[in-house]
Amino acid sequence: MPEGPRPKSHPRRKATVITGRQGHGGLVLLMPYVVLLLIVGIIPAGYAIYQSFLARSGSGFGGLSAYHDVVTEFQFVGSLENIGLVMAVWLPFMIIGVVGLALLLHGRRSRLVGGLRFIYYLPGALAGMGNFVLWLFLLDPVDSPIRPLLSWLGYSTLDQTAEPAHLPVIFALMLFFQGAGTWILIIYGGLNGISDEVQEAAIVDGATGWQLTRRIKLPLIRPWIAYLILLNIAYATQLFLEPQVLGLATEGTISPQWTPNQLSYTFAFQIFDVPAAAALSVMLLLVSLVIGVIITTRTGLFSDR
Amino acid sequence: MSEVLGAPVAIGGLPATGDVRRKRRRFRTREITPMGFLMLVALIYLFIMVTFVLATLRSQASLLSQGAFGPLSLGRLRFDWLQLKGFSDGIYFTWLKNSAYLSFGGAVIAVLVALPAGYALAMLHFRGRRVLLFLTILTMVMPNTVLVIPLFLEVSAVHQVDVLWPVAVIMGFFPFGTYLSFVHYRTTLPYEMLEAGRIDGVSEMGLFWRVATPLAKQAVALVFFFAFVADWTNYFLPLVMLPTSAAQTVSVGLQELITSSQLFNASAAAGLNVQLYMPELAFAAVLQMLPVLAVFVGAQRYLQRGAMLGSVKG
Repeated sequence: MPEGPRPKSHPRRKATVITGRQGHGGLVLLMPYVVLLLIVGIIPAGYAIYQSFLARSGSGFGGLSAYHDVVTEFQFVGSLENIGLVMAVWLPFMIIGVVGLALLLHGRRSRLVGGLRFIYYLPGALAGMGNFVLWLFLLDPVDSPIRPLLSWLGYSTLDQTAEPAHLPVIFALMLFFQGAGTWILIIYGGLNGISDEVQEAAIVDGATGWQLTRRIKLPLIRPWIAYLILLNIAYATQLFLEPQVLGLATEGTISPQWTPNQLSYTFAFQIFDVPAAAALSVMLLLVSLVIGVIITTRTGLFSDR
Repeated sequence: MSEVLGAPVAIGGLPATGDVRRKRRRFRTREITPMGFLMLVALIYLFIMVTFVLATLRSQASLLSQGAFGPLSLGRLRFDWLQLKGFSDGIYFTWLKNSAYLSFGGAVIAVLVALPAGYALAMLHFRGRRVLLFLTILTMVMPNTVLVIPLFLEVSAVHQVDVLWPVAVIMGFFPFGTYLSFVHYRTTLPYEMLEAGRIDGVSEMGLFWRVATPLAKQAVALVFFFAFVADWTNYFLPLVMLPTSAAQTVSVGLQELITSSQLFNASAAAGLNVQLYMPELAFAAVLQMLPVLAVFVGAQRYLQRGAMLGSVKG
């Protein structure tokens, strides 16, 4: 446990006088939150499950027909392959990049460290569509500041830079740029949780910087690395903005159903097949739910003590 | 993808500014390589961001012919501004207004809801506390895009599509904020203080008002900041919930600018009465980042301490 063992006799435990009054006060304080949790979380999820079992015509029970429609939709498998490819590029890039940079930052006492962390973090505060426009600027050879690089690679139009085969790499770069800085802070926080004594002992025992990293730091921040991997897998399955808008900007070279979320969007707003949209949402929800449960219960980062 | 979401908060593990590292070491070449690498990455980041921001001060012709750096002119800002104003009768500014309404509303609701809930989860005993905490962490680590389509089905079932306030309410559900408040009270509020109040006969609501809210400053700043940024940069939710252009947020509106641009859609742009090339697009993107930057600067001193407690995913 990165937090280290905690005393069993936490004051909260022994002062367990559960009065009715306390329960009542708690109810008032919690009420707005619980209501929102129901309206924004549980009810829509339940309603989507209900809708997913309706017939395509919109009325009557359809059994699993909506799920069948989704799975046999020809874009479905392709969209899964796409996010698989994105993950294959993005996850290693993210893990090595983030953990590497955090480790390099952590050992250093230079005054520059704070500034560097800030620079890495900056794109994160400007995430989403702002980041996308920035990448459009970078990737379009017409006015890109890295045009020499792009033309050396042989690309002279946006359609060439952003051809379908390049998308996993492009999205990995986009997402790394906007997300890595905050992840570096998280991993850095994990490294800060390692006690001095452990590190001192290792150094007294003659550990080199590399051994300290490999034998002490890396094993101790494993829960944070697991968190990084799991959460980014969950993100990858939810990819929407980047393929959607890049598809619009390139006029037709990228499928509008490149990711499962885009397919779900198409079902809902282009085909108007609500049960299928609901069914696909439910499937994606289940994936995120499983990942969420693993993060919550297995990484040990969120223990209630 | 721009969700702000939860990060583990090492309650006990505050930074170890160890003596190990405090001992002055002689400068070695071995130290220079990692530092050089860190600087190189930072330089690439700066290059990307600076060239982008400077594009707003350049002409499209200069971008075409002069590459990364070219002559800058402040007059360009006025030109860019006029193009945005001319696009669809200045709809860009309606988008900004909608974004401000949603992000501010969403963040205020998030603070008002999350603070008492986090406090109750941290300090009170009640049945279902563990379940609620579990659900909070679970929803916090799930991408916020996951329920967008189901939420749309729900909202359209009650005929509230294209209405702003339901979106603000949805944004007000911010489990990361609840978790932040939970950790905040866990770590800053001594349980004995509440016990003393209870013995003195103060009601639970009274305790929250008199003991918990005066200590809430940092939690309020953090929750507001993260909620505001998450709401401002949210794309999928407003895209789906607010299909009418005039009801859109600036995040979705930028997409409309891109698809109307002469650069990316020559045929549709043929009838356009303004210029929407890269300088104008960059200007529209940078301008809508300013509110986020302002909130970021405002919350900065709380963020630094917050980053010690845990961290953030932006």
